[in-house]
Amino acid sequence: MNIDFYLDIDTVIHRLDGRTKILLFLFSFLALVLFEDPLYILPIALLILLQNALARAWVNIWRIRILLLILTVSSVIMWNLFASGETHLFWFVDLESLQYSLARTMLILLMIISGMNLLSTTRNEELVLAMIKLGLPYRVGFAISTSLRMVPTISSSIYIISQAQRSRGLDLESGSILERIKKYIPLLIPVFISTIRGTNVFGMALESKGFGAREDRTFYLKMEMAKRDFVTLAFSGAVVIFCLYINFLDYGNIAGLTKF
Amino acid sequence: MSELAVSIKDLKFRYRGEKKLALDGISLDISKGEFLVIMGASEAGKSTLAACFNGLIPHYTRGAIKGDVIVQGTNTADSSVPELAENVGIVFQDFEAQLFSTNVELEVAFGPENFAVPREEIGRRIEENLKYVGLEEYRNRAPFTLSGGQKQKLAIASVLAMKPTILVMDEPTTDLDPISKQGIFDITNQLRKRDDITLIAVEHETEEALNADRIALIKDGKLVQVGRIEEILKEVELLEELGVMPLGIPKFFKSMGYPDLPLTPDEGIKTFHKTGWNISEEKYTQLLDKEKLVAQHDDQPIFQCRGLEHTYPNGVKALTGIDLDIYKGEIVAIVGQNGSGKTTLAKHLNALLLPTKGDVLVDGLHTKEQGVFKIGQKVGFVFQNPDHQIFSELVYDEIAFGPRLRGVPEEEVDKRVKEALEAVGLTGFEKEDPFSLTKSGRQRVAVASVLAVQPDVLILDEPTTGLDYKEQRSMMDMVRRLNDQGSTIIFVTHHMWVVAEYAQKVFVIKDGQILLNGTTREVFAQEEILKASYLRPPHFVHFSNQLGKTFLSPDEMISCIERK
Repeated sequence: MNIDFYLDIDTVIHRLDGRTKILLFLFSFLALVLFEDPLYILPIALLILLQNALARAWVNIWRIRILLLILTVSSVIMWNLFASGETHLFWFVDLESLQYSLARTMLILLMIISGMNLLSTTRNEELVLAMIKLGLPYRVGFAISTSLRMVPTISSSIYIISQAQRSRGLDLESGSILERIKKYIPLLIPVFISTIRGTNVFGMALESKGFGAREDRTFYLKMEMAKRDFVTLAFSGAVVIFCLYINFLDYGNIAGLTKF
Repeated sequence: MSELAVSIKDLKFRYRGEKKLALDGISLDISKGEFLVIMGASEAGKSTLAACFNGLIPHYTRGAIKGDVIVQGTNTADSSVPELAENVGIVFQDFEAQLFSTNVELEVAFGPENFAVPREEIGRRIEENLKYVGLEEYRNRAPFTLSGGQKQKLAIASVLAMKPTILVMDEPTTDLDPISKQGIFDITNQLRKRDDITLIAVEHETEEALNADRIALIKDGKLVQVGRIEEILKEVELLEELGVMPLGIPKFFKSMGYPDLPLTPDEGIKTFHKTGWNISEEKYTQLLDKEKLVAQHDDQPIFQCRGLEHTYPNGVKALTGIDLDIYKGEIVAIVGQNGSGKTTLAKHLNALLLPTKGDVLVDGLHTKEQGVFKIGQKVGFVFQNPDHQIFSELVYDEIAFGPRLRGVPEEEVDKRVKEALEAVGLTGFEKEDPFSLTKSGRQRVAVASVLAVQPDVLILDEPTTGLDYKEQRSMMDMVRRLNDQGSTIIFVTHHMWVVAEYAQKVFVIKDGQILLNGTTREVFAQEEILKASYLRPPHFVHFSNQLGKTFLSPDEMISCIERK
């Protein structure tokens, strides 16, 4: 089973430098949090979706569609509880709070999509190297990449373990919630133990390959900003500055909205 | 004496929190360019010793250490593991845990990167070492998409890229199928011819140790004997006593009382012709007739696969057109290369997987309609790694888990746990913590926990992997006892000698299809077809095939020999 999100294809977005892609992700976040009004978020949304289309990364979004659906439904409802407005609609929902809920939901969904755009188009090593080049210490970068790498390993052991316990008669699908939680113990303990055993060898192998032997280190992966990176950054930078400017002029807020 | 690569002086080591010494006074000199194999039973201290060569002990794994390990003039106590890594490379058994990168090239680059080797030089080393292990074509692949054998080759390439003068391999082939094993040994052999590298390997398979210069035998942390392979491998009884599998050919000649013991099949044939012994046609025919009787069935098969096909959700077709019958009371082996589909097939027999086309019938009932909960009652499945199922604090609870889930009353559960423990030879271990047992002990707990459900059929996936010879024997003897008591047994394995000595029928799977099936003797007689599916019979069977008859064990052959 494979839940690595990187898509090994060649697209315009794939060819961008890792640093550019990280900055695009940060820019998206910055632009999105500025506005309370979904209408103002819409153009940014289109840009993020354009990036997704160019990267041909829709498959990864589709893979997590159920998660996204749950998030959407719960988020649209929940945010109404944390805001109120002047035009009452029904129950605890006001027009203003509904707009606000939609905006927050879009923020969450778009951040996930933007993050997915990054992970779908950037190899683990590129991502880490880019972070290091942006000023992160090597060891921290390596730790991040290791935890990303652990995901497929752990998920494949969960798969095997659940088969093993099912063939012994464990039925995870029936019973009350409490009973079901209890049923997960036979899955979690073996997952935990086999992961710990694996990590021990991992640590040994790491030191045996000279990890941290010297202060300096070569990076075999080459990373160079090209013209397309500067163009992309200039464009997206301009968008962010424009958004900041609009926000500074007090556009994009919802009149009559009270947040708790 | 040539120059020393490693010199170990009176080495003692005790793991933190343990009372027993894991290494107890080992002294050993290894010369430059030598190939030394370390053998011994499980828990004898082989891996502990292997971890001493590059300082993992005492720097990474803590404990009390005495004595010295001098590697190329440096005492390992005085430098760190990463510093020693430039000199000593190590390859582990677990090929998943030792790869870090998402790309083959970057994996090889990782070691040299840490030593700040210039970029161009790293490029050159990637080129050289991928070619050396035969992985050039895979340079842009993600390591986790490679097969087990390829992963292990990559691990070797990535270590060689650091240009070590000593290469330590801790059971590099344990989890691999015969052909992938062969691939690793071919690499080892190439390396052996280079005099700039010293090879130290911990190994289970005696047939593979034949390539080494010397063997060191270890028991309870002590060095029992070290010597040239020709000497050590003739010590049949000593090897058996130490839990190391003796070669079939010297074992045969030794049992026959022949003084000058040959080691390899070729030597064996020459020696056999010298002895003037004869294989009795009459006794051989008797052997075959007895087998025919066992192979006859008039009852309905317990398992029927009809046009079984399985395609995984990702589109990979794992099985095509499988038709097979397995009868009650048989011991059946399923063999094939890694990724051939043998485990996928086995999982269909207890409905863990359902056919995407065709049918699987258990006792005449479709698995599609029954599901794993119902079929699991009849067909127990023991997974390869016991750590993938053990979760209880007590052995008793672990074994009681299955029956309890099926609503068996507590009194009956108690009875079944006792019976299951007795069957696996663990009576008296009820109150032990399963995690404190050895691998073979945990394997037994896993088998017992399946037995307690009282299935008619037991499927075992790689029951002997990771066990030493003695443990493998006692595991399989136990399986045979269960079969004598009426259980049908199906096992998946890479260990050809286990198939030869324990299976009645064999299915050879290649690329998701049955390539060959028949009685074990019929299958092992067809060495050419086996080769096509990357399998080969054990040395001893090969030797007897050359003499025109297929014998599955030395004892069988001895019973058919006529002396003049």
